[in-house]
Formats: sequence, structure tokens, C-alpha cells
Amino acid sequence: MKNMLCKGIAAAGFLALASTIGLHAQEFRVFSRTVQVHGFGTQGFVHTGENNWLTMNTTNVGSGEFTDFGANATVPLFDKVRVGAQIYEHNVGQLGKWHPQLDWASADYKFKTWLSFRGGKVKTAMGLYNDTQDMDSLHVFALLPQSVYPIDMRDATLAHLGGDLYGTIKPEKKLGSFGYTLYGGDRRDSIYGGYPYLLQIHGISMQQYGGPVMGGDLRWNTPVKGFTAGTSYVYEIITGTGQLNPSIALGGPNIVVPYKEWSNNDFMNQYYGTWSSRSGKLRLDSEYRRYWRDQDIFSGQFWVTTDVRSWYVAGSYGINKWLEVGSYYSYFTNNWNCDVPGQIPAPSASSPDRHVYDKAVTARINLKNYWYAKVEGHFMDGYAGFMYPDGFYPQVNPQGLKPNTNGVVVRTGMYF
Amino acid sequence: MKNAQFFLMAAAALLIAPLTLRAADMKVIANPSVSAAAVSADDLKDVFLENKDSLAGSHVDPVLEKGGPAHEAFLKVLGKSDAALQTYYRSLVFSGKGSMPKELASDAEVAAWVAKTKGAVGYVSADASAPGTKVLDVK
Repeated sequence: MKNMLCKGIAAAGFLALASTIGLHAQEFRVFSRTVQVHGFGTQGFVHTGENNWLTMNTTNVGSGEFTDFGANATVPLFDKVRVGAQIYEHNVGQLGKWHPQLDWASADYKFKTWLSFRGGKVKTAMGLYNDTQDMDSLHVFALLPQSVYPIDMRDATLAHLGGDLYGTIKPEKKLGSFGYTLYGGDRRDSIYGGYPYLLQIHGISMQQYGGPVMGGDLRWNTPVKGFTAGTSYVYEIITGTGQLNPSIALGGPNIVVPYKEWSNNDFMNQYYGTWSSRSGKLRLDSEYRRYWRDQDIFSGQFWVTTDVRSWYVAGSYGINKWLEVGSYYSYFTNNWNCDVPGQIPAPSASSPDRHVYDKAVTARINLKNYWYAKVEGHFMDGYAGFMYPDGFYPQVNPQGLKPNTNGVVVRTGMYF
Repeated sequence: MKNAQFFLMAAAALLIAPLTLRAADMKVIANPSVSAAAVSADDLKDVFLENKDSLAGSHVDPVLEKGGPAHEAFLKVLGKSDAALQTYYRSLVFSGKGSMPKELASDAEVAAWVAKTKGAVGYVSADASAPGTKVLDVK
């Protein structure tokens, strides 16, 4: 607790110091190479009227347990080779818990425009914002649409330890250009993410979660000015190991035994489009994601299938240099099935324990060229149950969940 | 009838003027180590958006000017507003997929940097002096 308080004070100190002195990217030279250093940090506050959200105690006065920061260094080793790494740390309610992560650490070799390679721990190319979902300064919204970019499940798609082949192909000018990424590697989730946290209600303490992933992303920069469309796909073979106390979920003895779960068929596909006006002031985004998971759980005693279908439509407009406004509609449904005794899904997705429909409106104020603040309202219908993480957790809602949740998110951040 | 023709021509001139001004407002300069003598607008865009790092076999590094008429004209070539361009670069920097190009305050600083830096490519106002650099013809 004391440690967390110290880190919270350190984060607040970073933001306060940065606001006082102003922030600038740092450069220095090592062996005649220029090293660039960049960083960012945000502090948020969330208040909701009905249910506690995103593992925070957001009802009553609200929660300020919503902090993240990161820093990176990159250096061009040779003309075509660049190396770099980024550290990221976050604490969002029960997520992250101030455990720093190596966000990415990679070497990039630009062989040709149409064929390049990067390897190491690499941010996964998927949809419009997967690889930048933590970089709040890049977005108008304080929270990206949680149906497609859930903050509690960021680990599930964020990065892989492996390699990417990528490039841009221009067949003919009138056809625009095609950007592609093909990748393979290994995904390792933090045990401080939403899924391990949710499993705690079943007496499961996850110690490792991840496995091989392979996939690709293809985006078409169309001849229509400002319009890009694309698709992504990933196939995964995921295994989780840890410990189980069977007395909690299965009515067994109060002991601790090894636990394992594994995926039989696990994939995600995504379709997306974005358009921005010539002036860059107006931007429209839309994405659809389907996540299918067929797993053996409780060390093979039971099976569960999860079919998450989600999409959003978002629009934003820059009124002037200082003020941007935006709105989105985010749609999330979870169609699950399993043979665990007593677990029967609601027959219709219109039931609040099968969906979350979120209407959000936001305003972003650019206070300085390195400092911004956002105010965002959320109007949510549904809480989507407890079979898969969806922002609402029983641990922080012991009184049960109400069907609707309204909330406000205030977030400020800096970058250099 | 003559009046109508005059107004049509005047309107056409007003429409075309901003386009010609864009090209006339700035010139693209490169370090003499860059072997290319000309560059297409598409390739130039790819170089500054970090999709491409060579021209005619020479490695190139883009350098930007912070504001000013040359920068405003160059943004038209890139098809992005200044805010969108900065956001684009930050998305590269923070996702590990690129780095921030050098940004300098004036034509003189850009010209001096390009003159002394192997592979540097930048832009300055059309009438700016840029000794020690070569002008790339933008096709």
C-alpha cells in the first residue's frame, strides 16, 4: 500500500513537474549516433452513478486510480537499421498494479519499401489503434471504444515476441497503396490483466497466460482522399497455468491444486475503415471485431466457447487548435456456452448480462503543445455478465450489477 | 458575354492560384550525397511519412521546418494538417515503428542542416538561399 502510494505520488510529481517546465523530446549522441528519448504520462479520474467500472471503485466519489506512463529510447544503428525499447507502467484499479512492462523492444530493418522486417517484442498491427491504444495523447477520446479496445484486456492483442514482415505496395497510382504486416511469435499476458482478475472469482490464481500467435493486417489506402480500409486476423494457441482452490467454484475441498486451461480454437478477425477530411478536422472511424475462443478449462474438466462480436462508429471534429469534440457508439455482445454445471447463458443478447452498448461524448482541450485534458461522458446499457472480461467485475460490485451505468471520465496527459 | 467570360476566367484563376502557390512557396532541397535529381510527389510523401528511406539508391533522412510558409506549403504535399502530422509521428514513436524527424526553426537552419548532413532532405521557401544543397525537382 505504501509502495503504491509512493508510486502514485511519483506519477503525480512527474505530471506536475512536466507542466511546470514544459516538455521537449530529448536527443543525445552516443558513438556518433543520435539517441531520441520520448515519454508520456496520464492521470485520470472516473465517476459512475450505478456500477463500479474497469475494476475501480468509481461509484460514490469516484476513483483516481487511473494512471499510466511510459518512456522510450530509439537509435538508428545503421542507415536501414533502427533499435529501440519502451517501458510502460500503469495502474487502473486492480489492473497493472504498478508493475512495469517492457512495452516493446525491437530492431527494425528497412530493406525495401515493399519488404521490411522488425523483430523482438513488437506491437501487434491489428485494426486502426491496437498498437497505439495506450497512447492517450494520440486520441480524442479518453477511453477508446471499449468493445474493440478494452482497457482491461489490452494484453490480449497488444504485442508479440517474434517478428513482422511488413511493407507498402503500390500496384498503380489509381488503385492507391496497400500496407501489409505478417507476423508470428509468442504472446505473454500480464497476470495483472482483466482475465486473471476475473478468474479469481472462481478460485483460480493464474501464473502464466499466453502462447503462439500468428496473423496479419492488410490496409488499403484507397484513391479516395483520406479514406483507408483494412482487415486483420490473428490465430492463437493459448495456455494458462496457475493454481486452483476447488472449494470456491466447484464445491470441492479447500485445498490448492495445479490449474491449467488451453485453447482448442482461438482466433480474432477485424474489419475497419477510417476517413479524414482534407483539413484533418473531421475524422470518422468504424471497426468490427469478432473474437472466437473454444477452450478447455478447469484442467480439462469443462469446456467453454466465447463468441464476442463488437463494433463501433466514432466521429471527431477539431473546432480549433485548442478544442476537439467527438462521439462514438460502441457495441459489445458475448455469446458464450459451456458445460459447467449451473452456468446457462441468457437466451437473448438483449439481456443486460449479454451486452454492453456504450454511447460516449467527449471534449479534448489542448492546453499546450505537450499537455491536454479530456472530459468524457458514458451512457452504458448492459454489463455483459462474468464469463469474459467486459469492464464490469463482481469483485468490485458485490451488491450485484444494475442494467445501466452512466459515468464521466476526466483525463489529462503530457508527452514529449 | 465578354463579362461572363472574364468572370469565368477570373474564377478559374482564383481556383488555380492556391495550387500554383503551393509549388511556388517552397522548394525541396537535399544534401549533395543524395544521387536523385528529381523526386515524385508520391515518393516525397513516402520519405516524409517514413514509408521510404531511399531515393535513387541513396539513403535519405527527412528534416522538417517548424511552421512558416514553406512548412504550410509542404503540408499540402503531404495532405495532412500540422496537428495530424505530429500525431502521425507520435504514433510511430510510441509504437516502436518509427522516429521523430529532425525539426528546425527556420529556412536558414534547415538549409544549413541539409548542407552538412549526409542523406538529409528538407524544404525551404522558394526564394531562400540554401548553399551547399541541391534542389530536387518535384515531378
